[in-house]
This record gives sequence, structure tokens and C-alpha cells, in this order.
Amino acid sequence: MKSYLSLASKYLTAHKKKTRLVIISVALSVALVTGIFSMLDFFLQFEKIQQIHEYGNYHLGVKDATNEEKQAITSRMDVKNAGTWISFRNGNLNGKECRLAAVDQKFAPNMQITLLEGRYPVAENEMILEAWAAENLHLKVGDVAKITFAGNTEKKFVISGICSDYGNTKAKGMPGVYLSIAGANEVNAEKSTGLLIEFKDGININDVQKAIQSSLKLADSRIIRNEYLLSVMGYGKSNTVIGLYSTGAVLFCIILIAGVMMIYNTFNISVMERVQQFGLLRCIGASRSQIKKLVKREGLHITLRAIPIGVLAGMLLAFLCCGILKYYNRSLFGEMPLFNFSIAGTIAGIAIGVFTVFIASSRPAKKAARVSPVNAATGSNEIKISKKKKQGRLTKMFHVEVAMGINNAVVKKKTLFLMSCSIAISIVLFLGFQVFVDFMHSSLKTTKPYTPDISLTSEQGLSNSLYEKLSDLSGIKKVYGRMFGYVDATFHASRLTDAYKQIIGNVQVEDNGLFIPPEKSWLISYDKNQLNWAKTDLIEGELSEEKLNVKHGIIAVAHPLRNGVSIETAALQLGDKVYIQTPDGTKEMTVMAILRTVPFNDSVPSLTTFITTEKLFTELTGESTIRIIDIQLDSSGQEQTVSEIKGMLDDSIAFYDQRQKNAEINGYFLTMAVFIYGFVAVIALISVLNIVNTMNTSVASKTRYLGVMRAVGMSGAQLDKMVLVEALTYSLTGCIVGCIMGIALQKVLIYNFLPRLFTIWKFPYVQIVLILILILLVTVISIISPLKRIKAWGIAEIIS
Amino acid sequence: MMDILITENLCKTYGTGETKVDALKNASFSVAKGEFVAVVGPSGSGKSTLLNLLGALDTPTSGKVFLDGKDIFTMKEKDLSVFRRRNIGFIFQAYNLVPELNVEENIILPLLLDYRKPDKSYIDELLDVLGLAERKHHLPNQLSGGQQQRVAIGRALATRPAIILADEPTGNLDTKNSRDVVSLMKLSVERYHQTLIMITHNQSYTSFADRVLSVEDGVVTDLEGVRK
Repeated sequence: MKSYLSLASKYLTAHKKKTRLVIISVALSVALVTGIFSMLDFFLQFEKIQQIHEYGNYHLGVKDATNEEKQAITSRMDVKNAGTWISFRNGNLNGKECRLAAVDQKFAPNMQITLLEGRYPVAENEMILEAWAAENLHLKVGDVAKITFAGNTEKKFVISGICSDYGNTKAKGMPGVYLSIAGANEVNAEKSTGLLIEFKDGININDVQKAIQSSLKLADSRIIRNEYLLSVMGYGKSNTVIGLYSTGAVLFCIILIAGVMMIYNTFNISVMERVQQFGLLRCIGASRSQIKKLVKREGLHITLRAIPIGVLAGMLLAFLCCGILKYYNRSLFGEMPLFNFSIAGTIAGIAIGVFTVFIASSRPAKKAARVSPVNAATGSNEIKISKKKKQGRLTKMFHVEVAMGINNAVVKKKTLFLMSCSIAISIVLFLGFQVFVDFMHSSLKTTKPYTPDISLTSEQGLSNSLYEKLSDLSGIKKVYGRMFGYVDATFHASRLTDAYKQIIGNVQVEDNGLFIPPEKSWLISYDKNQLNWAKTDLIEGELSEEKLNVKHGIIAVAHPLRNGVSIETAALQLGDKVYIQTPDGTKEMTVMAILRTVPFNDSVPSLTTFITTEKLFTELTGESTIRIIDIQLDSSGQEQTVSEIKGMLDDSIAFYDQRQKNAEINGYFLTMAVFIYGFVAVIALISVLNIVNTMNTSVASKTRYLGVMRAVGMSGAQLDKMVLVEALTYSLTGCIVGCIMGIALQKVLIYNFLPRLFTIWKFPYVQIVLILILILLVTVISIISPLKRIKAWGIAEIIS
Repeated sequence: MMDILITENLCKTYGTGETKVDALKNASFSVAKGEFVAVVGPSGSGKSTLLNLLGALDTPTSGKVFLDGKDIFTMKEKDLSVFRRRNIGFIFQAYNLVPELNVEENIILPLLLDYRKPDKSYIDELLDVLGLAERKHHLPNQLSGGQQQRVAIGRALATRPAIILADEPTGNLDTKNSRDVVSLMKLSVERYHQTLIMITHNQSYTSFADRVLSVEDGVVTDLEGVRK
């Protein structure tokens, strides 16, 4: 031994088991921090790819840029790529409504336009279109197509190439058509022109925006911002997106705190256990500062061993997430390397590990240094208790082992606080993240059972024979139809919301309290299946076809879509009367259920949306032809079935292929879900480890005490019970606090931070039961091995 | 007088090979009901090993112990803990009180563990005899060493066990407190007709005992002391 400081490493080697435990828990915390940072880093990278795919790879745009402006912008050092984008308000391709745009060839890849065959349009009379549309309209390279622009200008174009499908336009049945810039400039129709700019990496886009705006004197109204992409990159200004990300940031910080707390707790326990040992060192002449140095040296040893393991494990954790994503979404994330190395994550893990161990070792070091040598030598200062006398009520209420278990936990206020906090934090986080998961489940349509693969619509109505034929077709899972129409419906004027009144202006109210409908309402029919599926969106009431039919029931929709935006127009309650104009006069209907929203959008603005049964729909409107048929396909042989379906349709029927869009939304859902559930798993792990760790050390530090209890006559079962009750006191306290705070957080998140998402808060029974079961299970498991160890020792060995 | 405790060829060996230590060699003796036996011997002689074996806190390498007619080492751990709390009272050198329980709770702890309702008058009497009546709601760390050891005596007496085993009960106490504690033990043993086996370092306390056993290098010999 060269210096007294080598005592630290000697101690660690001598107590291999204990050292391993401390190293493992520090390493795990470091792993969690590294993992979380790497996951966040990767998540942003994945999100960026998603957003670029969805909205295009540009950061800013300048509307109606003049040539000088274009020149000035493209010649900037920080601009990576820029190109003109021209989009037309509407247009028709061979009589079919299409999305018309033009983009510079060099900027086409940024806008996700990939040429499959032919060449990019250059001449004034050239165009390209999506592959699915070309197939549908029987067009190929070299053909001539007719485009009708707004204002009925007609023009013929030669198809110079075919580009890849785009999920959104495919689902809407609107072919995406791209002209050449020269051609688009020639056309005299309503259009918007802009210069889209992609900046180089590492440029502060908000600063550049200011610089460009001031140097070129551009008004704010002329700037287009790709908010979704900018938000992911950290330059966001849109409230909804920032709200979503900042909520995520808050939750993320809590995770960080939990990780730091765990390292602190572990190290604290490990040092505090040996206070007596340090006191003995003081007895033989160690100074206070020497003790401090010794404790810190020990921390250093542990850090050096734990951090590399932790960082490696954390990286593996993040790889796992990336692996899952890459596996499920090869097309989108194919370019992402599997073994992505997050520098930010690694640095964060190391920094936080070192920092926390430093903090965690300096406080106990001070405490250890303060131990009086006398107390240490006699061992008389084991537990400090207040001077209060004790009446001993607990032992009168419960069996003594139960009472002592509770007492043991309650007496150590600091441990109780730390343990409960750590458990509570995890529960709060779990419940907080639940809001996101719920939001994703309810907002992303493809996660629902009624999402169609193919939709057919027709103005004239679809015949029953077609419906039957489709139902009989092999390769089809489900076919379901809906009727819809517009009716004049009125109800008590007080139910109209202010938001709606603002849109409409003055609403006339009659003497009987009913208003004169300023707009028609959308009425949709549901069959039994659809009523059943709608239950996931049910806020209040009951969805029974029989009851609706008997009682003239109608279903109100709380947040219908108006021009594609979710809005609350009428706050109808259960039992409200709705009066609908029918060919046979006014009919009184009763609101028997309220749905959160419907998965349909209509281009015609309507007062609100009502749903009823097929029978009542026919009674109310006199119509019985289906206007929409949704089809779900079997997973295999889809192309064959699709072409068979196409063969059954005539020109009046519009065919919407939703599959690609659904797959894209599913992919998006998966990206979010993998990371969110990854986070939740990490949080749960922190908690579980904390419980296990604390119970392990708690039992180990009370070895002697438990030995005495056994000598006095406590049986093995009683011992188990006592320790279990102590553990349960910790975990249940944390559980109760966590559930209360978690529910409060859910409410705050839903009503204050994310009111635009229209999620409805429900008491999370399932989650709470799940939490309880998990916590109980972990608590029981956590005490098994330490108790086993204790029992393996003879009583005489322990107490003498 | 009936023998409450009988040992037959009790042996205890620790370790193997070069580190092998024979802590106890063929100890055979018996203790009659109501006897106060002192065990003396230098440190490391095997006194504590003997006591731990008598109290079933440790298992012997060979040999038997009959307590109240029962062979305690044939019992299962579950039955043994019940037997222990009903029939054996321990008094340790380091008191070993439960720090979170007050004086009264510490004393009735073995009864509570046995799910029995404590006999209030007996416990009050015990507290009186031990001079702890005023302090029954105090916690152990609010008491002096002598007082803590008196609580431990109370705990050992609470269940009226067949035998009380005391391992250097005065080891941590000053002369005055030691004398008080020993005489209190003697008093209690006589008053409640208890059997007591006490390890002590202090030869002067052997005068309180009915009989003295000496342990040296693991061998137990009866000193035929001051038999009444």
C-alpha cells in the first residue's frame, strides 16, 4: 500500500458483490441516459426524414420572387439548393381533377419527385405524372394529355415521363401532374409561384431568414416556412408543433432527473452503509479531508468502470429502436445506417454519469467525514430518532410484523421520500406519455379497424348489385357501404358554439328557441359493423342499431371536420331534440350518442355531422342508394383483387386507393410508437431497478437487525411478511402519489398544452391497474433474493 | 429436581483442513429447572458457541440438545422459531433492542410475534420490577446502557420461557450497572422460577450462580461451584 487512497480500490476488490451491484446500477443509469439521448437524436433524424417525405425538403420559400431576388438568394453561401415551385389552384387531367405543379429540375428531388421512366419535362408542352394515375388513365410516355386549368383554359401536353406514386394524392384519387417551369409560366391561370430554399447543414435558419428578409426587404407575408421540418430541426414557430415537442421536452427532462436520481441514490446508499467504517478510519487518525478524498476516489473507480459499460449498453438500446424502424419501414429509412452513432447521446451519457457520481459522492463524503469517531467505535449511533416518545399504536392495530414493516419504512423518511419519488416519477411519466400514445391511436386513422384499403364513391349512388358482387369477390375481407346526404336540421340555438357563430355571423332564432339553419347538415348512415367500430370514439350514450331505430335516435359528432379542420360547431347533449326537414315534413329525432369525431371529410361546408342507421336514413331522406363503399382487402393477392374491382366499375364511379397512404401513416405511427414506448420502457426500467436496488441494500444493511428478530423468535414467514410490508409501504406510497400526480399531468397536458388535439380525457383505469400489478410484482421479486441470502446465514453468524 | 436442559456429546467444528477449529468438544451436561448457571472461560474458549447451540441459533456438527424434553435439532426451522420464541429468552451483550419500538413494545415483542395478547398485569409488574415503568414509551436510544439491558431482560422474561440464555449481559456496562443487572437477573429468576444460563467474564458474578461451568479450548467442565 503506497498511499491511504489505495484503500478505496482495496475495499472495492474485497467486496466484489457489493461493488458489482453499485457498478451495475451506475452503468444502467448511464445506459439509460445515453440511450435516451441517442434515441432522441435518432428520433429527430427519423422525424426529419418523415417530414421531408411528407412536406418536401426545403426550409424556406419566398413567394413571387423576382429574378433579382432569386439571384440574390441562390448566390448566398449558406444556400445548398433552391428552385422555383409553381402550383395551380386546380386543374383537370383528361377530365379528372388533378394536382398541378411545376418545379425546377434541380429541385425536383427535394420535392420527392422521382422519375421512373422517360425524362424530366423541359419544353413548354411537356409534363410528367404519377405512375398509378398513368395506369388508371391509360397513359404512357409519348402520349398526349389534355389539361384544363382554372378558368377553363385548355392545353395539350406531351407526357415526357412517369414519376413514383405519392401516398396522399393516390388516396385522394387526384393524380399529381408536374409541368415544366417554362410550360407553367406560359399558362395564364390562377397559380402561386415561389422560390423554395434548402440551406446547408448547421445553418441557423431563423437567423438566415431575418438576414434575407432585411437585405431584400421582404415582408413576412412573402415568406413560406416549412414548419414541420423546421420544428424537427429546432427552428419551429408553429404553436401546435412546438406544443407537441415542448411537452415531449418536459417529459424528457423528467426522465433525465429520474436517471440522475437513481445514480445518486445508489451511490448514496453504498457510502452511507459504511459510515461506521469511515468513523473507524477517523479513530486511527484519518482527517476529515482524507475521508472525503477516499470516498471520492471510490466514486472515481466506480465511474471509470461503470461508464464504458453504460455507454455501450445505451447505444445498443438505441440501435434496437433503429433496427425495429428500419426493419418495418425499409423504403423510408433504408438510407439510415443501422449502427448509427449518436455523438450527442454518448457525450451526454458520459457527462451526466461523471457529474452525477461526483455530486453523489461528495455529499455522503461530507457526511462520512462528519461521523464522530466515538459513535463509530461503539456503534451506538445506528439510527437517529426524534426525541418524541412513542405510544405504539401501530402494534395495537396490526400484527406485530406488519406494524414493524410499516414502521421501518416510515421511520427512514429520506429513503421513503427518495423511493416514493422515484416510483412516482416513473408513474407520472408513464401516464404522461400515455397522452401521446392515446393521441396517436385516436388520430392516426390506420390504427382503426374501419380504415378502408379502397373506397368507391359515386354521385349517382352505387347499385346494390355492385355491393353484392364486391361482397362475393374472393380476396376481400370486408365491404361496407354508407349513404350520405345533406339535410336541414335544427335544434335549440343555445347549443350552437361561439366558434360557429363567428364563422356564420348572424343566426336567426325563432320563438320556440330553434334557429333557422344557415347551412345544411351532413347526414351519414352506418350499418351494424360501423356502429360497432365507432365505439372507440364514443364519448357518451349508446350505439345500438335496434334502440336507435325504435327511439328515432341520432348520433351527434362533437368535433366534425369542416373544410378539413376539426371544429366544434354544436355542443349537443344526450336527449337533445333535433328537428330534420324531410320530404314528409319535419321529423323529431333524439340525440342518443355523441362521438368524438368521424373519419370522413367533406368538401362541402356543413353545419354539423349526424349519423343514423340505414333504416332511419331512408326514412329521413327517401334515399336508399349507397354513396360510398369501403373495401378492406386480404393481405395476399391484393393486386389481382384490385384489378378485378376496377373491372366492375364504370366511369361514374371514383376509385380511391388508400393503401400507400395508410402504409405511410402506419410507418409514421410506428416511428412515434417505437420511440415513445422505448422511452416508457426505459422509465419503467429505471423504476424497477430502483426498487430492486433499494430493497437489496435495505435488507442487506439490516442483516443484524433481522438476525436479532429471528433470535427473539420471529419465524421465516413473519420475516418475509415484515420485509414485504416495508417494501410495499415504499412502493404503494410512490404508487399513490404517482397516480394522483400523473392524472393531474394528463389533465394539464390535454386541456392546457394540447387543447387542439381534441383528445378526451378518461380516467385511466386500465393503466392504473397495470401499474399496480407491475409494482406489486416487482416489489415481491425485489425482496426474494436478499431474503434468501439472509436466511442462508445462521443466526449466530449474523448477531455475534 | 427435573432437568430442563440436557446436552449429549455436543460438538462444533468450524472450517476444514488447516483452518479447522474445534470450538466445542463433546460437551455433555444438564441443567435443572430453576437453576442459575454461570459459564466462565477466556475469550475464544467456545462459550458463545455453546450458548448459540443451546439456543438453537446455530447447528452443531454432532450431538444433541434436549430442551424441556424436546430434541431441538430435529425440529424444522418453522417449528423451531415458534419453539424458540416460546421457550428460550435471549439477552445479548449489545442489548439488540429494536430501535424503532418503544420499551413496552420491545418487551412484548416475542408475545406479539406469537400472536398472543400480552398479560397486562404481568407486563406492568415486569416493568415495575425492572424499574422501567416511567419509561415504557421511551425509545431505546433515549435510554442508558443499563436501562437498555434491563429492557432486554424484560423481553427475555415476557414469554415466561423454559430457559434464559444471557451472553455477557454486562459486557458493555460499568461496574455499578453490571451489578444492578446481574442482581436483577438473579431476582427475576427466583421470583419467576426461571432457569438462567449466563456467560460472564467477571469471576465475581459467579457468586450469584448456583453452579459454574468452565469452558476452555472447547471443553466444558463443571466447577462444582457454590451449589446451594
